[in-house]
Amino acid sequence: MSTLKPFSKIPELNSANVLLVENEEQFQKKLADVIVNAEKDVSVGVRLARRLPLPVENEETRPCIDLVVFIINLSFERSFQSVELSLKYVDPGFFLGKVCFLVTGARCWSVSSDRLQSVRKLATSLRCPLLYAEDQTVEGVNTAAARLLRVLKVTAGLTPWATGLSLSTLTRCTLSSDLEGDFD
Amino acid sequence: MSKTMSKSHNVSEAESCIHGAANRSSRRSERRRADVEDPFGRALEYFSQVKAGTPVKGNDALENNLVLVERVALGRGLPPGAVATLLDFALSLRLGSSVCSRVLKFLIPASAVPQDSVVRGVSWFCMGKMPVSAQILFLRWILTMFDLIDSKDQLRSIYGFIFSFVTDEVLSPYVCHLLYLLTTKEHVQPFRVRKLLEVQAKMGRQPPLTQLLALYKVLCPEMIAISMPSKTRGGFKNHNLPWKTALAAVLKKNKTAEAPSPPLSLDIKEKASTRKRKLHHLEVPQLSCGPEIESSRGKAVHLQQLRSFAQLLQNLDNIELPAQMGSLLSSSLALHYLDCVHDESALLRLNFWLGSVLHEEFLFCSRDGNPENSTEPSQFLDICLSLPQECFSSSEFFLFKFLAMWDGSLHQPQILSLLSDIPPLPVSRMKMFLFEPLQQLYFTSSVFFKCGVIECLRSMLWKWLTWHFVQTSHKELDVSLSSSRTMNLHMSEFLELVTELVQYVGRLASAGLQLENYHILLHHQTLNFYELVCDVYLKFNLPLFLLPPSGVIFPSLLATDPVTVDRLGYVIFRYRQNLMSAKEHKQQKKEPSFHISRDVFREFNLLMVAVVSCLWISKDCQVDVGTDVHKALVPLRTMLSYCKNYNLIHHPAFLNYAIEFHQKCWPEQTNVDLSSIQGKKYWYWYLEFLFSQGFDGLKDFIQNNMDHQSTPVGGH
Repeated sequence: MSTLKPFSKIPELNSANVLLVENEEQFQKKLADVIVNAEKDVSVGVRLARRLPLPVENEETRPCIDLVVFIINLSFERSFQSVELSLKYVDPGFFLGKVCFLVTGARCWSVSSDRLQSVRKLATSLRCPLLYAEDQTVEGVNTAAARLLRVLKVTAGLTPWATGLSLSTLTRCTLSSDLEGDFD
Repeated sequence: MSKTMSKSHNVSEAESCIHGAANRSSRRSERRRADVEDPFGRALEYFSQVKAGTPVKGNDALENNLVLVERVALGRGLPPGAVATLLDFALSLRLGSSVCSRVLKFLIPASAVPQDSVVRGVSWFCMGKMPVSAQILFLRWILTMFDLIDSKDQLRSIYGFIFSFVTDEVLSPYVCHLLYLLTTKEHVQPFRVRKLLEVQAKMGRQPPLTQLLALYKVLCPEMIAISMPSKTRGGFKNHNLPWKTALAAVLKKNKTAEAPSPPLSLDIKEKASTRKRKLHHLEVPQLSCGPEIESSRGKAVHLQQLRSFAQLLQNLDNIELPAQMGSLLSSSLALHYLDCVHDESALLRLNFWLGSVLHEEFLFCSRDGNPENSTEPSQFLDICLSLPQECFSSSEFFLFKFLAMWDGSLHQPQILSLLSDIPPLPVSRMKMFLFEPLQQLYFTSSVFFKCGVIECLRSMLWKWLTWHFVQTSHKELDVSLSSSRTMNLHMSEFLELVTELVQYVGRLASAGLQLENYHILLHHQTLNFYELVCDVYLKFNLPLFLLPPSGVIFPSLLATDPVTVDRLGYVIFRYRQNLMSAKEHKQQKKEPSFHISRDVFREFNLLMVAVVSCLWISKDCQVDVGTDVHKALVPLRTMLSYCKNYNLIHHPAFLNYAIEFHQKCWPEQTNVDLSSIQGKKYWYWYLEFLFSQGFDGLKDFIQNNMDHQSTPVGGH
């Protein structure tokens, strides 16, 4: 039981590591495959976890994590709760630009808008970016992977002129009031 | 309600009188069948004559006849006479409600539904004997078949009877929908409005009721004082599920049986022949109509019947719109007609229809739907894009919702073009619903998406400016192009909005350029945007001068690509022209309202000094970046030495031109010394040489800003 720390490991040259946390383990596998295959220039490592904290056994071999992605499937109530619990095991240093949320199933008719709103509230309060993804189509998975990779390369310091914190400031989620009530 | 057509032996006559020539082939086959003692005719006779109270259970004759008629109905549809007979039989409840709903469910007309039979059905309905489920089924049947009812004048004359059911909680949604389709201006009466408001107070704001009220308000605005929500979520539901597939199949079959006449309308979309999706009804309904219409107010004409433009012009006042407003989308002729007649109620209906379809299809997808089949939704969005009405408020509402959960790639081209159609809205709303979500997408997406966004915002700005220009310069003209997108912004609000948009793009561009390592495509897209912005005063008569931020100017100035520098030169040149003419205008007219801030001139002069000293003077380079960077942060001494390398000769973008020029001047010299070009004579030759390479922007910039006698300082 230990918190995940951003600077506890020394980063390696030309490498970036992303940690995908998803309770349902449906989307992270697909995403990981695409991310690993898409990047050719630097070595990208993808670590998968159902929840935090990560087990202590692998502590030694685990590389320096550059980005933590929490995947929330809105179709499942449990998904959001699990992420909320996991967040406690993330070091505050990560929230300076190294955490982002990925939401799937937002357009699903069975999803109540309250659930989406609570995810938005969470991301806003933590000042993190909130990305939406279409997990059902190949194109949707590719897009999500490309976007994550883009963020990852920034947080890993592989993009000149940009840092994770600056990108996160530009893209962090903002809480808009409900469209329904406000629009009339 | 007088005429009945229940006798089976005169089915063919009754049909021909209603049907005319439209379906001659089926008439002929009917007669042939009658000759050979057809079982279908006998079945109909049975239904018209069967006595009330006949036992249903174990009644083989009934069962056989039902099966026979059902087979015919689902196979090729029922002729009008048969529809009348069966409807009368079913609604009279002679054999109970279960038989009634069974008959209703297969009551698929082959071509048309006689109005009399529907009126008769409504009279059965009004008797109050029918169970609620049968009543609902009947109403849904009417709503589905509405376009096939041959005329509606008698239905309209019993409007009051139908209206009385509005208070019924269960029936109300269906009744409202039916009334919505029937309502004309004469029907809107104070007592009805009062009733509806009463019902609304009792049952809350239900979408069907609200929409009926909204239609009333459009038809008679003076009668309804309460404000209507301009966007109602969800519209009328489609009630056609039990009949949809069968009806479509029958209509299609009959259509191919007839010789197809060439339609006047340009069909945008070919109907997909195979459909597997169940929940979705994204297809644009076909324009369909009853065969012939006689109405009390003269002859009404369906759009579908028009064959030529001359015909359209003749019947311009008598055109009857179909019940399914969505079907108009498939015909550009119909859309242009709508645009030209300014039919508020029709636009309102189309708006509602569009809103509910977009909402259901794109925001409420089912998880188990067929996700790979994405061509259909994008085709539908294409149709939305091609509307001459540009942006309906419902599609704007949908866009904002969709944008908040967009992944940036789904239907990207369509969504971006639809976004550019958004009319000017108050700044706070724009910021919240467009700028914020778009920014979050922009910075995490690829450079091509970034270019797409900048282009989309450019085209949006261009549309706003054009619209504003037309509105202000032709005050005498009525330019409320379509009332659904009236711009209710004051001039000051509009200026504020444009300023906000330009500054927003400035932020996106400068940070985006940095993130993308000054990608050349993004550079050009950005300069494209500023080519529009710099000319706002001269081209659109809007006194607004917004300079690009340093994050755009300096990367463009120091770009390695000559075209970027050239375009920057053009942009600065146009800014100068605009400022100069604004200044002249101010001095001539002395209008108090016309005010240009001194800061604009100061900022522009700083920009000019920076650019000129970089490209021209090279030695006394005083790059003053304005107040953006603290003096202590810029090591001025070291910068000065580099600045020399950015004059037109040593600039990385023009280096190869300089070398080429050098080789032309001194062909025998192998040792290239570029500083020798800086001599007075050669310098001007070099400029001429550059201009001859097509750098017109640079030419405009230099010729208008430089004293021709001056030479770059630091020459020989």
